[in-house]
Amino acid sequence: MKKIRVLMAMLGLDQHEVGAIAVTGVLRDAGMEVVYAGRFNLPAAVVKSALEEGVDVIGLSCHSWEYLYYLDELLALLREHDLDVPVIVGGSVVTPGDARILLDKGVSAAFGPTATPDEIIASVRKLAGTAAEHDSSTAACEGRE
Amino acid sequence: MADRRTQSRIPLQPVYTPSDLGAFDYAASSGDPGVFPYTRGTRAQSPGRTSWIQRELSGEGDARCSNAQLKYLLAKGQTGLDVIGDTPTMGCLDPDHPLAVHAVGTQGVSLCCLADYRDLYADLPLDRITMSHSLPAVFAVAGLHCVAHERGLSPALLRGSVIQAPYYCEDCSYAVHMPFKLRVRMAADTIAFCAVEMPKFHAFIEDTYFISESGLDSVEEMALGFVELRGLVRELLQRGVAIDRFAPRIAILLNCRMDFFEEVAKIRATRRLFARMMRDEFGATDPRSWAVNIAAHTSGLTLTAQQPANNIVRGAIQALALACAGVQAIEVSTFDEAFRTPSPEAHLVGLRTQQVIDLESNVGQVADPLGGSYYVETLTDDLERRISEMVQAIEARGDPARLSDSGWFRSVFQTAIERHARGIADGTTAKVGLNVHRVPDEEDVLLREVAERKIEPSRERIARMKTYRAGREVEPLRAAIQALEADARDERTNLLPAIIAATKAGATMGEMAGTLRRAYGQPADPFGQPDVAL
Repeated sequence: MKKIRVLMAMLGLDQHEVGAIAVTGVLRDAGMEVVYAGRFNLPAAVVKSALEEGVDVIGLSCHSWEYLYYLDELLALLREHDLDVPVIVGGSVVTPGDARILLDKGVSAAFGPTATPDEIIASVRKLAGTAAEHDSSTAACEGRE
Repeated sequence: MADRRTQSRIPLQPVYTPSDLGAFDYAASSGDPGVFPYTRGTRAQSPGRTSWIQRELSGEGDARCSNAQLKYLLAKGQTGLDVIGDTPTMGCLDPDHPLAVHAVGTQGVSLCCLADYRDLYADLPLDRITMSHSLPAVFAVAGLHCVAHERGLSPALLRGSVIQAPYYCEDCSYAVHMPFKLRVRMAADTIAFCAVEMPKFHAFIEDTYFISESGLDSVEEMALGFVELRGLVRELLQRGVAIDRFAPRIAILLNCRMDFFEEVAKIRATRRLFARMMRDEFGATDPRSWAVNIAAHTSGLTLTAQQPANNIVRGAIQALALACAGVQAIEVSTFDEAFRTPSPEAHLVGLRTQQVIDLESNVGQVADPLGGSYYVETLTDDLERRISEMVQAIEARGDPARLSDSGWFRSVFQTAIERHARGIADGTTAKVGLNVHRVPDEEDVLLREVAERKIEPSRERIARMKTYRAGREVEPLRAAIQALEADARDERTNLLPAIIAATKAGATMGEMAGTLRRAYGQPADPFGQPDVAL
């Protein structure tokens, strides 16, 4: 069965990468492929990677508030390119209030610091439209920014 | 418990007895405070109260806003200052850089030119108060030097410190987008310059705090720290700077997590390792070169977004460990750290935590109160051995430039992050409120409102930069930038004089960093922005 492919990216100058790397590990352990775009992305670069890599889900990790300002542009670019890929935002700085705003904007799921790995995995699987079990025997693709 | 271990996974016994110390030689392995190998502290206990420098990490908005924050903390009894740059500043980018637009002043202070340093230091007695800088060192020292000069204050009187992070900054949240060789040169130039010009200033702070916030354990933290510290020492010796010229001003800024006794033992082991290394390996003869000052932050990574009030308790336990270990300066990571740069309320709680420990607990009246404990002495020996072995193992891997460029250092941090995350996910690392003793979200309200308040980016600063740039005299500025580029191309020349001259001529940090990158064969802008003609 085809593996779920996830793009993991951070926006702007947000450099605190601990969450992005940790969640990447969680998703790979769950048998998914993660294309790690890492730090220092603008929305256009995220959309370009999503197009080129043919990912099922875009994951944005944040430890600063920059994502709040970049998200509208990112979602508009996805629409512009007719790219129907769900966007998940996660990070310690995402409060329940932020999560509601994000969902209203069109983000498919938002996770704050209380989210568990299982919740994140379940959400990615649901949004990728594949609830079946996945092969976790092979190493996922290695990405570096 | 079958598997009893410290947080660094060192096996533990249920109890320690005199037999664990074996042939413990007090003079050789411990010694009195202020006596080689300084395990018990760098100074003999002075009569009366001995306390550490109490400060909280600050920096928010523009330099004026941060200056007000510093004054607020001083008014509340803070005895030193510590300032950190926002993400553009830490990356040597100006606030009007396209990538900086949403990040100006939200996670630290925005600093990029001399006017900013004037505002930051306004009314602060730079010869009497110690100002710790978590900033790109070479530019921060230039800014401080210029302001002192304008005030008629001799740089020789300047106190304070600046962190050096040349080996690991690109991999651990402080990327400056510069090649390894240039990063090391900037650090060594700053240290060599200050050894002569600013002899009271600690220009050589080995910062193991920020690297270990990836989840490194205590052994990894100090091993990587010593690898970087030793690399810089060798670099300076190769340039002909005598060891006793700069070693007395080396300090280590380290992390303190929740494993109380391990952190105390780590600090004791670090002092001993440093003393032996300086005397026996690098040949230092001045006792001040053997005794390393230690400053510490309590760990942000140990704090949780759940039930933020619990973080106050964590900060207190960690600060108490530091007081017992006898460090020279403490910062308590604030209870809202998981969410934001510290709020004034959280800053005050952090400072009050230190003041309560200092003034009410009586810890600190007696030097190294845990010295002589069968457990702490055994653990100190064990940590010393493990750190030393790991330093040797890393150095045996060869050229640190290659370890950095090939991503080997990065892989160490990545492994630590994943290990830490797995430990929390599978419950082997207990975090109260996160993976044990949770409460429903609707009950988790205490202090949450303070913690979740946001800081708006200082966008007005971006507009002000346009005016600032247009208001400069072009010719002297161009000449100063050209002189900096020429100096940068000659590795035997110290960069500081040209950076100070360019700063005085109005150059911004972004312009100077771009000039340095260009001299090292890289694009001036790390994100592909076109060069701006002056």
